[in-house]
Amino acid sequence: MKKIIIADDEHKILMSLEYSFKKNDYDVYIARDGTEVLEFLKTMIPDVILLDIMMPNLDGYSTLDLIKQDEKLKDTKVIFLSAKNNPRDIEKGLEMGADAYVTKPYSIKKLMQQIEEMF
Amino acid sequence: MKKRHEQKLILLSIGLLVAFSIPISLLFNSEKEVFGYPMMLIYVFAIWMISIIISFVIVKKYDE
Amino acid sequence: MMSSFALFIIVLIYLALLFLVAHLAEKKKSKVWINNPYIYALSLAVYCTAWTYYGSIGVAATSGLNYLPIYIGPIMVIPAWIYINTRIVRISRVNKISSLADFISLRYGNSRSFSAIITIVCLLAIVPYIGLQIKAISETFHLVTETPMSKNILTDNATFVVVLIALFSSYYGTKYVDASEKRLGIISAIALESFLKLFFIIILGLFVIYYAFDGFSDIYEKASKFEDFKAKNTFNGIEGAMNWMVLCLISGTAICILPRQFHTAIIENRQEKHIKTAIWFFPLYLLIFTIFIFPIAWGGRLIFEGQNVNPEFYSILIPQHFDNTLITVFVFLGGLSSCISMIIISAITLSIMLSNNLIIPYGLLGKFKSENEVQNTRNITNIRKFSIFALIIMAFGFYKYFILKTSLDSVGLISFVVIGQLAPAFFGALFWRRGTYKGAVIGLLAGLAICYFGLIIPQYYFSYNQELKGVLREMYNAFDFFSISFLSKIPQIFFWSILVNTGLFTIISVSVKGNYRERNFAELYVDIDKYIQNHENAFIWRGTAYVSDIKNILERFLGKNKTEQALRIFNLKYSIDSQTETADSRFIKFSENLLAGRIGTASAKILIEGVTKEDKISLKEVLNILEESKENITLNKKLTEQSDELQKLSDDLRKANESLIIKDHQKDDFLDSVAHELRTPITAIRSAGEILADDDDIPLDIKREFLNNIITESDRLSEIINDILYLDKLEHGEIALNIQQNNILETYKKSVNPLLHLIQQKNIHLSEVNLLNQFIFEYDEARMIQLFQNILGNALKFTDDQGTIQTKLSETKNELTIKIFNTGKTIPEEDLEMIFDKFYQSKNQNILKPTGSGLGLAISKKIVQAQGGNIKAENSGLGVTFTITLPEKIKEIKNEVEHN
Repeated sequence: MKKIIIADDEHKILMSLEYSFKKNDYDVYIARDGTEVLEFLKTMIPDVILLDIMMPNLDGYSTLDLIKQDEKLKDTKVIFLSAKNNPRDIEKGLEMGADAYVTKPYSIKKLMQQIEEMF
Repeated sequence: MKKRHEQKLILLSIGLLVAFSIPISLLFNSEKEVFGYPMMLIYVFAIWMISIIISFVIVKKYDE
Repeated sequence: MMSSFALFIIVLIYLALLFLVAHLAEKKKSKVWINNPYIYALSLAVYCTAWTYYGSIGVAATSGLNYLPIYIGPIMVIPAWIYINTRIVRISRVNKISSLADFISLRYGNSRSFSAIITIVCLLAIVPYIGLQIKAISETFHLVTETPMSKNILTDNATFVVVLIALFSSYYGTKYVDASEKRLGIISAIALESFLKLFFIIILGLFVIYYAFDGFSDIYEKASKFEDFKAKNTFNGIEGAMNWMVLCLISGTAICILPRQFHTAIIENRQEKHIKTAIWFFPLYLLIFTIFIFPIAWGGRLIFEGQNVNPEFYSILIPQHFDNTLITVFVFLGGLSSCISMIIISAITLSIMLSNNLIIPYGLLGKFKSENEVQNTRNITNIRKFSIFALIIMAFGFYKYFILKTSLDSVGLISFVVIGQLAPAFFGALFWRRGTYKGAVIGLLAGLAICYFGLIIPQYYFSYNQELKGVLREMYNAFDFFSISFLSKIPQIFFWSILVNTGLFTIISVSVKGNYRERNFAELYVDIDKYIQNHENAFIWRGTAYVSDIKNILERFLGKNKTEQALRIFNLKYSIDSQTETADSRFIKFSENLLAGRIGTASAKILIEGVTKEDKISLKEVLNILEESKENITLNKKLTEQSDELQKLSDDLRKANESLIIKDHQKDDFLDSVAHELRTPITAIRSAGEILADDDDIPLDIKREFLNNIITESDRLSEIINDILYLDKLEHGEIALNIQQNNILETYKKSVNPLLHLIQQKNIHLSEVNLLNQFIFEYDEARMIQLFQNILGNALKFTDDQGTIQTKLSETKNELTIKIFNTGKTIPEEDLEMIFDKFYQSKNQNILKPTGSGLGLAISKKIVQAQGGNIKAENSGLGVTFTITLPEKIKEIKNEVEHN
């Protein structure tokens, strides 16, 4: 079972994602902001992290930064999920080292497909 | 000094001219005494003092 | 009792002191000293001469109030100096005027003959006056030492004193040849003397009041017992008042025109602003002086009652009567100071006039043209030194042979009347463009004639003869018709002479046109303020002239170095190539000015004329040019104004452009955040929809939840869109406010009602505190309901269960204040202002992201501001308070585009 951390401050979005990934045999951990993600990372190494960018307390960018500094997480795929759609933001996200950048609104099916292709 | 403040001083000049000319000066031309001194004398020196004070105030206040 | 020798030594020491002060002032030239307005103001007190010190006391004792007009005249005129003297100073500075004669004659065409006439008038008026001072020195010297006057001049001590003074004046007075160099040494000495003479008269006054008598009232009581006391201290009816007034006019004119006054007030003026100090300081000085004269005069009369004592010298005799040698000497020195000041300044200014207007132009110009600078300067200085000496000696002779028998008072007044003949030309120069040379000269000569026959001849004739004889007698009888019975001699002659003078001046000036040169200077004088920056431009001259010729002349008087420097400045000022060979009108004027500083305007003009060839211009042409140049000046002013306006406009435009660019960026940012905000609910809807569409065996409760999500998020989307549009309308003032008088309490209740359910659900305690005296205010009710619901809704979201929401309503002078407080998490300090921004999301949030559009607070702020009020948030202890203030009277304020 692949482990996945899903981080987003919108509860309803989290709900949909959680349901879908659980349905697909993922071990799902949900976080509401970057700090909660880091909490999880203290005790486990996920295969995938889905990161919203605009989150309170610790936003997506900073979280990615910290993830990138961690040796243990070099195989973890990090994907940005964001409503920020303009090319500049996408470029920035990818330059920071995200493995993919998916813009909202997205198709959950397509998202899962994309993740499968990474492994 | 602005023109209109200059004009205040010129007005003072004219005022003095009037104060010391007939018939105004004659108003004070009596043998009555003020504070025990000849009225004319008091009048002249009082006007004199006042004009100095007015000049001083205008010059100090409006000096740029 | 003082020995002659001792007093002589004292005089020497005193003169040495003056010398020292002059020397130090020259040497140090410290800034403080030079720029001191009080030195200037004190130097004006040279007006107070022996006449003030001795003569006034004599007049006060014998004819009462008549001693006052000599000072009242000046104080009437002095406030107007702010206007008059400022302009005279400017004209003189610009044209390098070195004397009164220069000032007047330059205006009327810079004529050599006119300046010569004026010089002669001054000599006639002032030399006797100098003699007066010498008389005073001599007589007081003998009084103090109680020695008789020696018949032999050479053995008379007073003679030596006079000689010493003459030497002092000629040395320090001629140190500077150029008019623009101020004689700091002399002026400092004069200022010191003014101070000393006042100081000593105060000592004498206090001595008389408190030592000789028991106070002012004591003197007054005793003096009022004189039978003529009352009469002396009132006017003798209308006659007396009229005489008094005319005397005021005479002295009012004198304070402006007397050569010594013109010299100290104008020529030696360093800064225009010193005039302002003089305006109040000088009258104050005069006041102090004259206040003591009254008690001294009447005290003297009381002490010397019955004795045949000359009241003019009461000031010496009183302390001497009490055997107080110290004060006697003080008074003597005070009188000496007044005399010396007058002699020095008058001698200097007369010597300048004599050298510049009589000696040089009428004889020595040829010589000067061929010599070099050093020689010329030396010659000029020597001429002046000699003149000073000669004048003083002349005055001495005059005193010995003519005025031994006359009183100080009448000589002084006659002097004033004579000098007053210059008044029409002088004041006409300042204010009347039309005044012409011919008018001025003829008026002056006529006035002088009247003075001569009316005053001078009777005065001095009667010194020697008892009666009029022959032709003279018939002439006087003929003129008897004109005698005004109620004016005494001197005022009468003043009246007639000035009347005839002014009359002829005006009539001739308007009947006969002046020449163009006069008219040119008339413009320069009357409109000095306009021309002051570039007066060389205002000088109209046409003809041929070569720079080298003029340079040659300049070098002869200024020396090579100064000439080079001056030329450089000139070329720089007018951007002229230094290789230019021909000289234009500006250069001519410039050069004339430079020379005038040395040898006077008349001679300067003659010298320059000698090396140039002027073309004739008609008066009409000159007037046209002047009109044009005036128009140019106004046009120039207008253009500068317009260019300033343009500059301002372009600045405004740039600022507006910048702010538009900013707003554009802001708009882009806003659109970005709008898009962002909209995508979030859309994502939730789509995700839920996708799941529902693909998953057939989704558990029912989850299914329901997702379906609800779709609904709520659609609502949210709708809300966001609505709020965005609403906020936009508010910002552009498209929401019409319906401002009415409403009851705030009712409005509040209306707002709260729909929320009560939610409040109860969360077990929140809601309370109101009402501190209002009256409940009717002006506002838009619908908006206020919206506002309350926004804030209360906000408060609801952030108040924990079982918390409190409290609303407090109060009013101050003209403001309604509503405070809504809720317990719960506080807002981070840095966010307190920014929570009112659109879609603001704090970085360090402990606040849950509120459901809703994220625009609620922004909308609230806009609503409040649109009604002229204010909203702010602050942390208060256990929670947060939102404070809304509204003015009582609301003016409809159209919303400006939002300033972030």
